[in-house]
Amino acid sequence: MSRKAVASAEIAKLLEQQRADYRARLPEQLTQLQKLADDLALGKRRQAILEELHQRLHKLAGAGGTFGLNTLSSRVQSLEQQVKDWLSDPVDTVDAAIWRSFASNLAQLRELMAESGHQAIAILPDATEEADEQAVRVWLVEDDPLVGRELAQQLESFNYEVCYFQCLSDAEQAAHTNCPDILIMDVMFEQAGENATKVLHRYPALKDIGRPLLFISSSDDFQSRVRASRLGAEGYFLKPLDVPRLINRLAEISEKRKQPPQRVLIVDDDTVLAEHYRLILLSGGMEVEVLQQPEQIIDRLEAFRPELVLMDLYMPEYRGQDLAGVIRQYENWAGLPIVFLSAETDLNVQIQAVGTGADDFLTKPISGTHLLAAVRVRIARARQLSAQISRDSLTGLLKHAAIKEMVDIEAARSQRIGKPVTVAMLDIDHFKTVNDTYGHAVGDLVISSVAMLLRQRLRRSDIIGRYGGEEFAVILPECSAEDACRLLEDIRLRFSTVHFNHEGREFSCTLSAGLASSRELPNHGGAELLVAADEALYSAKRGGRDQVQVA
Amino acid sequence: MSALPRILYVEDEPDIQTVARMALEMVGGFEVRICSSGEEALQEAEDFVPDMILLDVMMPGMDGPSTLEALRKKPAFADTPVAFMTAKVQPAEVAHYKSLGAREVIAKPFDPMTLADQVRAIWES
Repeated sequence: MSRKAVASAEIAKLLEQQRADYRARLPEQLTQLQKLADDLALGKRRQAILEELHQRLHKLAGAGGTFGLNTLSSRVQSLEQQVKDWLSDPVDTVDAAIWRSFASNLAQLRELMAESGHQAIAILPDATEEADEQAVRVWLVEDDPLVGRELAQQLESFNYEVCYFQCLSDAEQAAHTNCPDILIMDVMFEQAGENATKVLHRYPALKDIGRPLLFISSSDDFQSRVRASRLGAEGYFLKPLDVPRLINRLAEISEKRKQPPQRVLIVDDDTVLAEHYRLILLSGGMEVEVLQQPEQIIDRLEAFRPELVLMDLYMPEYRGQDLAGVIRQYENWAGLPIVFLSAETDLNVQIQAVGTGADDFLTKPISGTHLLAAVRVRIARARQLSAQISRDSLTGLLKHAAIKEMVDIEAARSQRIGKPVTVAMLDIDHFKTVNDTYGHAVGDLVISSVAMLLRQRLRRSDIIGRYGGEEFAVILPECSAEDACRLLEDIRLRFSTVHFNHEGREFSCTLSAGLASSRELPNHGGAELLVAADEALYSAKRGGRDQVQVA
Repeated sequence: MSALPRILYVEDEPDIQTVARMALEMVGGFEVRICSSGEEALQEAEDFVPDMILLDVMMPGMDGPSTLEALRKKPAFADTPVAFMTAKVQPAEVAHYKSLGAREVIAKPFDPMTLADQVRAIWES
C-alpha cells in the first residue's frame, strides 16, 4: 500500500536541484581530499590523515552514488578500501611511491566530476522575465465578425495584442500549439447553434488552456452564468459591451498575473526540514528565506518583508505561540499571516495555537502540493484584501501609504539582489488651472489618462501609485537611472501630445518628473529615495516644467 | 489502517539526510526524525518513539552496530525494527548485521523514489 504523497515530477525536480547543489560543492570537497593526499605523500601525521581520509572518502562514495555520480562513487569506493587497508596495516611499511600514486588517482576524480557535470540537467530559466515587455495576448472568439473586429480594434488601442477567431474549432486548433494570456469568448454561436458554456468540453485544448476566461453575451440567462462560473470564468459581460469596464477587468487580471513573487519566511530550528520546505516553495516560484535564530525574527521581518510566516510549533527555546505573540506586539505586523506547521494532531492544542495569533495550522507530514497550495492561497487572499484597502478608486493605482510601503520593500529587495531600483515622482503641470477652467470632472479625466499612460508604457514589474492629488510615484525595480530617464522622457512626450476635449475647447497638458536611483544613492532607504525623487521633481518644476530631472 | 510509521533515520552525511527525508516524507508519507549521530539518536529516540529505525553503518563516534547495541539495552527499543544502511552488501556482511539484531540491510546508494517502499516492506514483514 504505497502512497505517493507528492507528484513524482515534483520530487524529481527537487532531487535534481539537490543534485545540482551537491555537484556545485564537489570541487571544494575534492580540493580538500587532494590536500590530505598531498600531506600524506609528505609523510606528515599519517595515521590521523588516513583516518580523516577514510571518513571523507566514505561520505563521498555514499553521497556521490545517491546523487547519480555512479562512476565517481565506485572509484572513490576503491580508494576508500585502499585507505582502510593501510589503516589496518602498520603505516610505515608502505612505500612512499604508493602515496604518490594514491594522490594522482585522487586527482583523476576531478575529470570524472567534469564528465558527470555535463550530464547535469540545466535549471530552466524563469520565463516570466522575458514576458515582461510583451503586450498581453488576448484571444477573442466571437462568431459575429462585426462585433469581433470592432472589439479587437478597441482592445488593440489599449495595447492588447488580439488574435481573433470566428468559431470555437479554429481557437481549439490554435490551442494545440499556442496559448494566450487571456481568453474572451462569446456565449452564443448562432450559426453553429452552440452555447459555448455548454459545449466547451468538446474543445479540450481550449477548455484546459489554463488561462483567465471571460465570457461576453447578449443574453443574461442564469443557467449560462452558472455554467460559466463552473468553467472558472473570471467575468461575464453583457452586450452591447461597456468596453472601459471590460478593459478594467482585463487590466485587473493581467495585473494579477504580473504580481511579484510571493515572499515566505520559514522559522524552523531543523535545518534539513527548513531546507526541504524552502525547496518546495521555491519550486512554486516564491521567494523564501529561512530563519534559525528566533531572536532575530523582527529584524528579519523588517529586512525581508515576508507576506507569510511558516513556523514550527515546537522549537527548542521558544514555542511558535511565543513568537507569534511577539510578532503581534508590533503594530505593522499585526496583519501578517502566520501559519504553524507541526506534527501535533490534538485539535485542542491546534485551536489554542491558533488562538494565540496564528492564522492557521498545517499538520506534518504535509505533501509538497498541499503546502504550496495552502501558502499560495493565503498570500493571494492577503494581497487581495490589502489591494482593496490600498488602491485609489479613480485610477486603480496604489495609494500613498501603499506605495510608501512598496518602495521600502523594493529598496530592500534591490539591496538583496544587488541590482538598482529607481524611484520617480511625477506631477501634472498647472493642474489647478485645468480644474479651475474645465471643472473637476475634466481634471479627473486628465489624472486617469496619466494613470493609463503609465500603465501602458511601464513594465509589468513596475509599481505605480497615486501619491497625492495630481502627483504620481513610480517604482522601477532592476532599472538604472539612465533607463528610467529614457522611459519617463518618452512618457512625458506622449502625454504632451494627448488632446483633451471639453465642450468644444481643446487643450493639452504637460508633466514634470524627478527620479532617484539606488545606484547613485547607495545608502538611501525607500523613504529617502522618495524624498530625493521629490526634490528632483521640484528642480524640474523650477527649471521650467515639462521635463525630467535626475537626483 | 495503522498510523503512518514514525521513522528515526540516523545518518551523518547532510546531503544524504536531505534526500532521505524527501524520499521518506514526500514519497512515502512517513513521519521522519533525522539524527546525525548514534549519540543523538539515543537521546531523540525516547522522545520521538519511532516505529522503525534506519541506521547508517559507518559514522564517526558511535557507528551503526554500537548504536543498535545501545538501543537494544533500552526496554522501549528492545524490539523496534531496525535496518542498517550500507554500501557493502556482501551476503556474509548481511548475515553479520542480521545477527546483531537488524531486520534487514538496505544497500546504499538507495533510489530515492523506491526507498519508502523498501522501508515499508521491511516494516510490514
